[in-house]
Amino acid sequence: MILTPWINVRLGAIVLVAVLLQVAFFSYLSIFGTSPDVVPVAIAAIGLLGGAVVGAVAGFSAGMLMDVVLLETLGVSSLVLLSVGYLAGRYRESFEIDSVFAPAAVTGALALMAAAGFTALELTLGVDTPVSGAIVADAIVKGLLAFLLAYPVYPLVRRSLRSALVLEEAPARRPIFRGRRPPVRRRRRAPGSRVRRAVGGAR
Amino acid sequence: MYRKQVRRRRAVLVGLIVGSLILLSAHFSEAESGPLHAIQRGTATVLSPLESVANVALKPARDAVDWFDETWEARGENEELADELAQTREQLVEAEVANAENDELRGLLGINKDELSGFGFTPVAARVVTRTPSLVNATVGVNAGSGDGIEVDDAVIAADGLVGRVSQVTSTSAQVQLITDPRNGVSVTVAEPNGPQGIVSATAGEPDELILEFFSNDDEVSDDQFVVTAGWSDPTTGLSSAYPRGIAVGAVTEASTGDVDFQQVTVDPFVDFQELTYVEVLTGGPERPGVDP
Repeated sequence: MILTPWINVRLGAIVLVAVLLQVAFFSYLSIFGTSPDVVPVAIAAIGLLGGAVVGAVAGFSAGMLMDVVLLETLGVSSLVLLSVGYLAGRYRESFEIDSVFAPAAVTGALALMAAAGFTALELTLGVDTPVSGAIVADAIVKGLLAFLLAYPVYPLVRRSLRSALVLEEAPARRPIFRGRRPPVRRRRRAPGSRVRRAVGGAR
Repeated sequence: MYRKQVRRRRAVLVGLIVGSLILLSAHFSEAESGPLHAIQRGTATVLSPLESVANVALKPARDAVDWFDETWEARGENEELADELAQTREQLVEAEVANAENDELRGLLGINKDELSGFGFTPVAARVVTRTPSLVNATVGVNAGSGDGIEVDDAVIAADGLVGRVSQVTSTSAQVQLITDPRNGVSVTVAEPNGPQGIVSATAGEPDELILEFFSNDDEVSDDQFVVTAGWSDPTTGLSSAYPRGIAVGAVTEASTGDVDFQQVTVDPFVDFQELTYVEVLTGGPERPGVDP
């Protein structure tokens, strides 16, 4: 990924929108007893498109923002989400992404890992109560929901960052003339006139 | 060139992990008045208008999802409700007989604004603007803060009963720790004359039910009894509950005696936390020893 200031702004906007959507919309939904988590999905998409470093930095930033907005312990979400971004980036650097299924599957697995990691960290940080087995089911459902969410989110993120992607194919040019190209008519040069040469080849 | 890239990548990763761990341990160990908490509150104050705008803007989308969800559920519940209606008619007759007892229960449960004002509380209305996606940390953010008179440990109620307590506050927003948060325990009493007392708390991963543990192993309750906040205070030890007395918490759904020598009681909270939109924060109130002013 080619990181220009404009692309950095776009990455920041993606992170901000994902966090706001999470706290103001997705956290209100209840699907099979849990709420979908869109932030790991967005971070995984950034990692899959931008690589390990970009994914890790985006994950760290998103985690910080989440913890600040929700007034939770700083560093918990950062640690989990930077792992998501880094691992997604490492996947992209190690394997070829040649199907629609691969990003969704990777995102689902990473979201499952994030939910489990987040729960483990929170339980380590002084939640002194019995833990229900439903928490495992919650992490699995979150992973499945992330798998489904990746189908719309990954193309959206890719579209937003398209101009910065190195391996992204340029859109095919539409031919001006369909069928047989008409013969080029050459104008006759007037005697004594100067010849203009186009830069980068003849037009 | 490639080695340089790998070294740079590792350095960034290690830096971020170390940064997260330093932040985590520093924030976790420092006091509420520490610099990290102050920076967090300041940033949250700056971001709170953005959260409010996002919350209002996304309300139609949430309502649309709710409409589909409720319509789906309503189809399944229709037959159940018809059966319940028949049972309710029978219970109505029994309720007439227990009218005298109800007067006393109403005294315990009927917390309204006038009564709260009588105790010195000033209810502050607030809208729920953020919500955590985690089952372990059950918290919501509201769009009122210290500028509205809200302080840490203020009780938060909704139309149906107790919601939780204020755990963090900025000038324009506050974090409310719900009673379904496993870190939160509420001292309660069963709503009957000299009802047994205990503590309700949630199990991590089970946000829809609370577990009631009695102070005495001999105490017993039956299904459908109501549970309200105990609101105890002990000036000699300097300790007291963060919640005022008599706020409805929930109903007993399961009271069983298993292999253990005390009753295991499950309480279903009255408040539907998934549908929570508006709450009231009980600011002020009488001096409560042990509760931060």
